[in-house]
Amino acid sequence: MRRDVQAVILILVGGAVLRISIGDTFLNYVKEGMRPWLLLSGGTLVVLGVLALIDVIRRARRGETAEEPDPHDPVDDDGHSHVHGPRAAWLLLLPVFAIFLIAPPALGAFAAARDTTNAAPPAEAKAPPLPPGDPVEVTVADYVGRAVWDSGLTLEGRTVQMTGFVTPNPEGGWWLTRLSLACCAADAIASKIQAVEAPELPADTWVTVTGTWVPGGGTKSATAIPLVQVRDLVEVPQPKNPYE
Amino acid sequence: MTSHADGRDTHEGKRGYRPGSLEVLAVLLLLLIIGQRWLVDLFDNPALQTGATIFISIVVQALPFLVLGVVLSGAIAAFVPVSFWKKALPKNPALAVPVAGAAGAVLPGCECASVPVANGLMSRGVTPAAALAFLLSAPAINPIVLASTFVAFPGEPMMVVARFLASLATAVVMGWLWLRFGKLEWLRIGPRDHLTGDNPWHTFRLTATHDFLHAGGFLVIGGLTAAVLNVVVPQEWLATVASHPVLSILALAGLAVVLSICSEADAFVAASLTEFSLTAKLAFMVVGPMVDIKLISLQAGTFSRTFATRFAPATFVLAVLFSMLVGWWLLT
Repeated sequence: MRRDVQAVILILVGGAVLRISIGDTFLNYVKEGMRPWLLLSGGTLVVLGVLALIDVIRRARRGETAEEPDPHDPVDDDGHSHVHGPRAAWLLLLPVFAIFLIAPPALGAFAAARDTTNAAPPAEAKAPPLPPGDPVEVTVADYVGRAVWDSGLTLEGRTVQMTGFVTPNPEGGWWLTRLSLACCAADAIASKIQAVEAPELPADTWVTVTGTWVPGGGTKSATAIPLVQVRDLVEVPQPKNPYE
Repeated sequence: MTSHADGRDTHEGKRGYRPGSLEVLAVLLLLLIIGQRWLVDLFDNPALQTGATIFISIVVQALPFLVLGVVLSGAIAAFVPVSFWKKALPKNPALAVPVAGAAGAVLPGCECASVPVANGLMSRGVTPAAALAFLLSAPAINPIVLASTFVAFPGEPMMVVARFLASLATAVVMGWLWLRFGKLEWLRIGPRDHLTGDNPWHTFRLTATHDFLHAGGFLVIGGLTAAVLNVVVPQEWLATVASHPVLSILALAGLAVVLSICSEADAFVAASLTEFSLTAKLAFMVVGPMVDIKLISLQAGTFSRTFATRFAPATFVLAVLFSMLVGWWLLT
C-alpha cells in the first residue's frame, strides 16, 4: 500500500470518528463519557494522516530531481509488514463505510428480545423510596429492579412515567424496553416490563408510558418480567441517548 | 507499507501502467457512493443492523485505546533510549518477567493498546518473555480495571484481590513458560529500520502510523467476528450451563473470548451475568483481557499467526486454572 493511500485511510478513519462524536450519533454505540476520547483520537488520526500526506508531497517534489529510493530504505527482509500490514489496513475502510453509508441505528427490539435475563439483583439490599412527584419519572431498569427485587413495595400506590421502546412479547402484548450499556453496545443489557392494557404497537416504537405497578410476573429472579398497568401512552421520538 | 514500496511505485511509469492502491481506493469509494441506496436496503434487516451496530460500537469503543497504545509505542520507539530498558529491568530474564508483569499494574491501558506497546518493547531489546508478561498483565491489573471491578462488585471487595492475583499469576507464569518453550522465530520483531525517520519526531509519527494501520485492521476482524457471534449464539445456551460448577466457569471463560469486551468494562458485564458463580465471573474477567477474538487477531497480525495459535490457547488454559484456584481460595 502506498503511503498516500495510508494517509487517506488515516484521515478517513479519523474523520469518521470525528463525524459521529461531534454530533450525537456516537451515543448509539458507546457511552456519553467517551466523547472527549473519541474527539481526541479522531483528531490525532486526522493530524497523523495530514502529516503523512505532506511527507508524500515533499517526497514527490524531491523525487523529481532524485528518483532513486531513499538510501536508508531497507532491503525487503521482513517481508510481512509490506504485504500483511497494508492488507489488514484496507479493513479499516469497513467501519468508515458503515458509519458514513449505513449509519447503523441504536440497538432495539431485536437485541432486547435476545437478552433472556432481565433484572440484576440491586447493589443495595433495599431500594430507597421514590422521589416525590405525580407522576414520578423513573428509568425502566429502576422500575424492574424495584418490582422484582423489592416485590414492588416502593412502587405501590405511585404513578410512574417511563420512556422506552416496544419489544413484541412472543406470548402476546409487548414489553416496554430500555437497553443499558456497561461500556458499549456489545454489552447492552435489556430491562423489560410487560405493558398491561396497552394498544398493539409495532416493534421499536418509542413511547412514554404513564402507569401504575401491578403485582405479577414473578419476583426475586433474574428472568422475571414485571407488569405495569398503562394509564396513558404517548408515542415519542427516540431520545438523544437511546440507552439508560 | 514502507518507503521501499514507494520506490517501486515511482518506477511504475517505466514498466507501463499498473493500477496501484490509490486507484483501487478511488474506484472503491466511487462504487460505494453510487451503491449506497442498495447497501442501505441490504441492511434493512434487524439481525444485520444489530450486528452492524455491535461491530461499530466495538471498533469505536476500542479506537481511542488503540490510538493511545500506538502513540505510546511510537513514543517508546522514538524518545526512550534502548539503554533505558537494559537498566530498568533485571539482567536475569527469569527475574525480569515478574518485574515486567508487576509493571503492568502501573500503566493504564486497554488490551488493544498493550499489543503495539509490547511489540515496541521487544523491538527495543526487551526480552520477549518480559514484554509478553507485560502484554498480559497491563490490561488485566491496571488501576482503572481494578477500580471498575471494585465498583461493579459492591458487596465483594475480595473480587478485586482475586482478579489481581489470578491475572498477575497467569501473566508471570506465561512469561516463564515463554522463557522455557518459546521460540524467537514465532515472533516478527526486529529493529524496524524502515520506521526510523529523519529525527525522533518523524520516527514517532512513522511508528505510530504503521502500528495503527496494522493493528486497526485486525481490530476490525475481531470486531466483526464478535458481532457475528453476538447475534448468532443463542443466549439460552448460557442459562443451561450456568448451573454446572465446572461447565459454568468454562462457559464464561469462552464467552469472554467471544465477546471481546475492553478490560476496563468487562467487570460490569461479568456482574450482570447473575446466574453464574463468583468463580465463573472471575474466570470471565481474567481470561477476557488476555485472550479474546479481537486480541488473537491483533496478536496474529502483530507477531505472527504461529505465535497467536500457541500463545492464546496456553494463556487461556492458565487463566482458567488460576481463576479456579484463586476463586476456590478467596471467593467461597
